[in-house]
Amino acid sequence: MTYRIPYLLLVSSLVWLFFTPSLYAETNDKLQLSGFARVVMGYLDDKDAEYLGYDNSISVDKESLIGLQADYQILDNLAITGQLIGHTAEQRDSGIEWLYLTYTPTNSLRFKLGRQRTPFLNYSDVIDVGYAYPWATLPQQTYPRHFFSTFDGLMANYEISNSLFVMDIEGYWGYFEDDVVIAERQMKAKTDDFHGLINTIHVNNWTFRGSYHQGKTSVEIDDITQFSNLLSQIGFSESAESLATDGTTEVFQLSASYETLNYFVRAELNHIHADLVFVPETDGYFISTGYNYFPFTSYISYSKNVTEYEQPASDIPIGLSPQLDQLAYGYLAIFDQLPVDSSEAFTLGTRWDLQAGLALKGEVSLIRGKADDNAFFTFDDADFDRKALLYLLALEWVF
Amino acid sequence: MKTSLLLIGTIFNLTGNICFANDAITVVANTQDRSILLNRQEVRHLFMGGAQHYGLHVIALPPENQTRVLFNTKVIGLTESRIQSYWAQMRFTGRKKAPKEVDTERLVIQYIKDNEGSVGYLPAGVSLPDELTVIYTGL
Repeated sequence: MTYRIPYLLLVSSLVWLFFTPSLYAETNDKLQLSGFARVVMGYLDDKDAEYLGYDNSISVDKESLIGLQADYQILDNLAITGQLIGHTAEQRDSGIEWLYLTYTPTNSLRFKLGRQRTPFLNYSDVIDVGYAYPWATLPQQTYPRHFFSTFDGLMANYEISNSLFVMDIEGYWGYFEDDVVIAERQMKAKTDDFHGLINTIHVNNWTFRGSYHQGKTSVEIDDITQFSNLLSQIGFSESAESLATDGTTEVFQLSASYETLNYFVRAELNHIHADLVFVPETDGYFISTGYNYFPFTSYISYSKNVTEYEQPASDIPIGLSPQLDQLAYGYLAIFDQLPVDSSEAFTLGTRWDLQAGLALKGEVSLIRGKADDNAFFTFDDADFDRKALLYLLALEWVF
Repeated sequence: MKTSLLLIGTIFNLTGNICFANDAITVVANTQDRSILLNRQEVRHLFMGGAQHYGLHVIALPPENQTRVLFNTKVIGLTESRIQSYWAQMRFTGRKKAPKEVDTERLVIQYIKDNEGSVGYLPAGVSLPDELTVIYTGL
């Protein structure tokens, strides 16, 4: 899928060429064009497995991307923003990530209407802008790749500022509809009444963030829905309900960071709950500390996640008849196949700020999982020890 | 000819940059309310894009400028790299925009003088036009 970046580059360049000479000359400060790009080279030191698509060959097409953003100030308090992203990763679609109107009635209040990135966690809405964070990649244990997408709706932001602190309160409401990959299956997902509240406080060198997000999600998995209907018709309602393909999704998040000229400490935790058969209850966290010695920053991080699925129901009797046994084993097989991605990662890395807007990062992570879990690895050999080193080299650019 | 160009270059250099005797920073505004006096936290919030209660809009010097380095060190308390990362996060999430940059301290004074409501940082002790107000001084 590497053709995507040249294609997007072409489209972007055309857009750029189309707007720049006319609008820029005409309006000067009203139109601002900016962008970001990253080239991430990775290598996994294990021949038996893949992790985030990386295997034991050097690849640059898993997380590399380019993004272009245009902000146009229509009126003093009304602006339009569009952001186009071209990914090299096969599982990420390229296209419009943002397209929204911003209305700013006062200095402290802002409304955004349109397509926006879902701000679940601290770096969710800049996960693609690697320059914005110290690490080469955000830890999969707390920032699982399937998790982040856009929503269409309204976001309001209010800022309270005084001599002691600055507090940002954000609330949003909207809907989401897209293909997602959950439990290694691609499915169409829809979330209605999607809303959330985010509170961020800056006090001295501290930043605290807490957020809560909720939506009513339904996914299209025809074989599961048909099997659930069959179980319901026969009268095994508990088993049928346990194969739910719609329900409430909730995300809780807390983070804290302390940073000075010399060092930083950052920690974040989240909890994901969904009333859907394929989405496990997940707790994830990371803690990271780094030392600044211009133009370098070296850091260590530890991240961990624990995932647990709902236990299967037990209302289908076993041993009464071969047909019921077949039904019960078919039902239990669905749960047996669900991948458990509990894992932990130890990371060591250095960021080198080559110049303003350009940084190079080198990072090595030890990823470990339990013997029976998948731990985000993809592998064929059941004897794979669920342990591997991931080496990443990332060039980050904002312009 | 070469010597003349060198001399002109040196003179330009001497007049283009304002020398400062100490490491103190002053924050100057063009505001009608001349009683405004901010503490370090408020200045930090202001220059990191915090809501502007006094209706002030900030301007900055370029990343390589020594006064900016001093301001980052003494007032913001973050490295240039971290500040750049912060503005990247703000810009690409549509939250805030980095301050407009002007090239030299002399242009900062001129810009603030010409634009009511603007505020910028300078080396302490620099001579200022009467119409500008010092709203913060920090060692």
